[in-house]
Amino acid sequence: MTTVAAPSAGTALDRVDGPEKVTGRARYAYENVPADLAYAVVVQATVSRGEVRAVDADSVLQLPGMIATIWHENAPRLAPVEDAELTVLQSPRVAYRGQVVAVVVAETLESATEAARLLRVDYRPEPHDVELRPDHPGMYRPDHVNPNYATDSELGDPDTALAFASVVVDATYTTPAQHHNPIEPHATVALWDADGLTLYDATQSTSGVRATIAPLFALPPESVRVISPYVGGGFGGKGAPHAQVVLAALAAKQVGRPVKLAATRRQMFAVTGYRTPTVQRVRLGADEDGKLSAIVHEAFEQTATIKEFAEQTTVVTRMMYAAPHRRTSHRLVRLDVPVPTWMRAPGETPGMFALESAMDELAVACGIDPVELRVRNEPTIDPERGLPFSSRNLVACLRGGAERFGWAGRDPEPGVRRRGRQLIGTGVASSTYPVYRMPSQASARAEPGGGFTVRIAAADIGTGARTVLTQIAADALRVPPAQVRMEVGDSALPRASVAGGSSGTASWGTAVLRACEGLMDALHRRAGDVPPGGLEASADTAEELRSQRPLSRHAYGAQFAEVGVDLDTGEVRVLRLLGAFAAGRIINPKTARSQLIGGMTMGLSMALLEESVMDLEFGDYLNRDLAQYHVAACADVRDVDAFWIEEEDPDLNPMGSKGIGEIGIVGTAAAIANAVYHATGIRVRDLPIRLDRLIGGGI
Amino acid sequence: MDFLRPVTWEQALAYKAERPEATPIQGGTDVMVEINLDKGRPAALLDLNPVAELTRWSTEGTEIRVGAGVTYTRLIAELGPLLPGLAQASRTVGSPQIRNRGTVAGNLGAASPAGDAHPPLLASGAIVEAESVRGTRMIPITEFYTGVKRNALRPDELIRAVRIPAAAGPQYFSKIGTRNAMVIAVCSFAVALHPGERRVGTGIGSAAPTPRRAPEAEEFVAAALDWEGRSPLDPGAARRFGELVAGAAAPIDDVRGRADYRLHSLAVMARRTLGWAWNDYTGRGPA
Repeated sequence: MTTVAAPSAGTALDRVDGPEKVTGRARYAYENVPADLAYAVVVQATVSRGEVRAVDADSVLQLPGMIATIWHENAPRLAPVEDAELTVLQSPRVAYRGQVVAVVVAETLESATEAARLLRVDYRPEPHDVELRPDHPGMYRPDHVNPNYATDSELGDPDTALAFASVVVDATYTTPAQHHNPIEPHATVALWDADGLTLYDATQSTSGVRATIAPLFALPPESVRVISPYVGGGFGGKGAPHAQVVLAALAAKQVGRPVKLAATRRQMFAVTGYRTPTVQRVRLGADEDGKLSAIVHEAFEQTATIKEFAEQTTVVTRMMYAAPHRRTSHRLVRLDVPVPTWMRAPGETPGMFALESAMDELAVACGIDPVELRVRNEPTIDPERGLPFSSRNLVACLRGGAERFGWAGRDPEPGVRRRGRQLIGTGVASSTYPVYRMPSQASARAEPGGGFTVRIAAADIGTGARTVLTQIAADALRVPPAQVRMEVGDSALPRASVAGGSSGTASWGTAVLRACEGLMDALHRRAGDVPPGGLEASADTAEELRSQRPLSRHAYGAQFAEVGVDLDTGEVRVLRLLGAFAAGRIINPKTARSQLIGGMTMGLSMALLEESVMDLEFGDYLNRDLAQYHVAACADVRDVDAFWIEEEDPDLNPMGSKGIGEIGIVGTAAAIANAVYHATGIRVRDLPIRLDRLIGGGI
Repeated sequence: MDFLRPVTWEQALAYKAERPEATPIQGGTDVMVEINLDKGRPAALLDLNPVAELTRWSTEGTEIRVGAGVTYTRLIAELGPLLPGLAQASRTVGSPQIRNRGTVAGNLGAASPAGDAHPPLLASGAIVEAESVRGTRMIPITEFYTGVKRNALRPDELIRAVRIPAAAGPQYFSKIGTRNAMVIAVCSFAVALHPGERRVGTGIGSAAPTPRRAPEAEEFVAAALDWEGRSPLDPGAARRFGELVAGAAAPIDDVRGRADYRLHSLAVMARRTLGWAWNDYTGRGPA
């Protein structure tokens, strides 16, 4: 039993579920086919505000294969909960165009689709308001911003400091709405039986879906089981259940049969969340040497009328750079729009586009190298919380990245480097992401026949979590990874936190490690003897997390971009993208690299392409498919690379790791926009960097 | 919705005569998208895939007759030297999977102003071979596009082939999109030199209600080029050519780009492609 194995953590173990995935044996939510299955298709509101007056349910019921039409007048009643996104089909109100107003259930997907198409819904429409403007009279101050940060912050006297600063940057930046677009659309198969409700769901948190859905149906949590072993990407869009989960459960209850419901790609643009558009004003005050005296960052964002989601856009600014005088704020307006949600690094992603663009503008205004400017403003402690950093290696990332990128000797003059008809430029931006850790439970079991089974309701949404947890467990058990069977993705397993906030490895890894340690102790007490029934130990990390000392914990990085801009057409090509990261101990260099360059690629896509266009007349997002909502293609991503700096930080978790799922997207768009400025002399403050923003901008 | 599946061309024509409202379908890369997006639902689909003869191309004199079922992938692989402009445009269509299914005839049937095949067909002076039970019509490409997503086909007619003069001189296609692949054109442009006739052909895509030529630009540049002496392209003439091409367009603002950007980039593409073509003609190699 006590085989001595070389540590697995730190090695590039191949994904343990790779063979299942490439051979098609991995079963995703939509692929579950319980006996007697029926298919549900949603009907979406065609007005953006108003009331459903009538649904002509009877006429579609005549169609072949139809089982039921469910709408607010005949839907089962749900228990009232705070989250109105989930209390579906309970009222005639339409809060946004695309909201689900009915669901049809039929014997086949084709019949249900046809019935949904034919169903006549009569509305009493009202004028809508879907335009985000910073001067909107409905702007208000939310109680807090996601997940639980103070809405505003202020230190010193930023207005006076700005008035007396030698150099001031005052600029407004905008980012558009963006949709997650994971490769696997949201899907749920719901099944009721004597034990309660089973949901096969595509989710980032089986425990979370259980906890959220159970009260809606007035069930105790143990009567709901959520199964989600494989998920085809989430990016935050599957972080919390959306309407389709409730609709599937509600439809299955109504028709007394298992029901399958998937969102189509086009439906996803209304019903599964998105990143709010933002308008951000940044003011920086500095002396001639670029030393900051004041930082002010104000964000204006939208949320839905039925649910508040307040993106924490300026929270990152509270910690990035030193300055005695500072202010951050968030204002929201409730519009007749779909419900925004978490999307890869909510807050940091739009916020750092603005802050890091402004830092570049300050570098230009002061005539200081942008790497050097950031180094000069490096704080010694967290500037607003007053706490020491557990570790902070931003400067090492900036310096190390600059060296590897070939930054030295960069001519700061914009618009002067030509290669044929291309203007060439380089840019830099910082990256960062907080270190979160959430309570989780796990169990570890020595099997009588040899080998170990480790269980936790974690979610592997393509990140490699199953693989990394296997490595953590193997090391704790002192066996090779092949002897560990990792079970995740089922709410019947020990409760785990969401695959969100880049917290999975830290949160689940701690629980897995503690369970394995407990099992090793138990085995030790039995001199290694495994009883015929096996031997099991479990762990709960709630206590351990409570005793964590207060420190400012963040991962850092620096991203460097080289772009070529076609002088005549404004086409931007990102010629090189290099990320340097300091994120604690990297447990699996292969999956880590994929996360980091994946994030950077998504950042490139955000910089140049991604934009959900609001149709002001009809009140919905216009470009609702992948032919019109452009995600970067391989041809857009030429040379992207990431490396990391070894970082020892004993104040994180037993693995010494920081999260890496989100930091890769943070700062990328600013690095590219800064490179575009260096190439062309045009400062693009509104994403994405469209062709016509450069040509109209004066190349 | 009825699904009609003729196995011979005669059968196909008979079906179309009987059911003129039927939408012909070949690769389905346009038709199926429209259906999936619920932009109208045809009463019947007329599946031309089983009609094997449509997948053939042949040389008839100086003309290449491309059957309505020849995919972009095959066009690129088999007809590149004969129809370089069309082959270049074909390479920019969608993804490899789309090119394996999509056809030039399908592009013509859909007649979207953004279709990639249209500009090179205009520049080389293609002829659409349309047929019905009543007989065959040879429709010059300039008369084929009649409005946004509308063409000159009569209700009972099917496209049997596209007849394209084999390139008698250099041809180029250029396209601008917001993404570097798999993108609908913001605008596009094709040029074809016809040295024997001392003539230049043009085609503009995605910058007017229909694909169209730029006749004034063609006339101007045909006269300005030194066909005999093959002297280098005069930059002033190239610029003027670009302006005249832009002048022939009538773009709109939409999600993909602003009208003024389209005019600007059309002029750029016209200048560039003319430069490439002229360099080829004069033996100077790529610009």
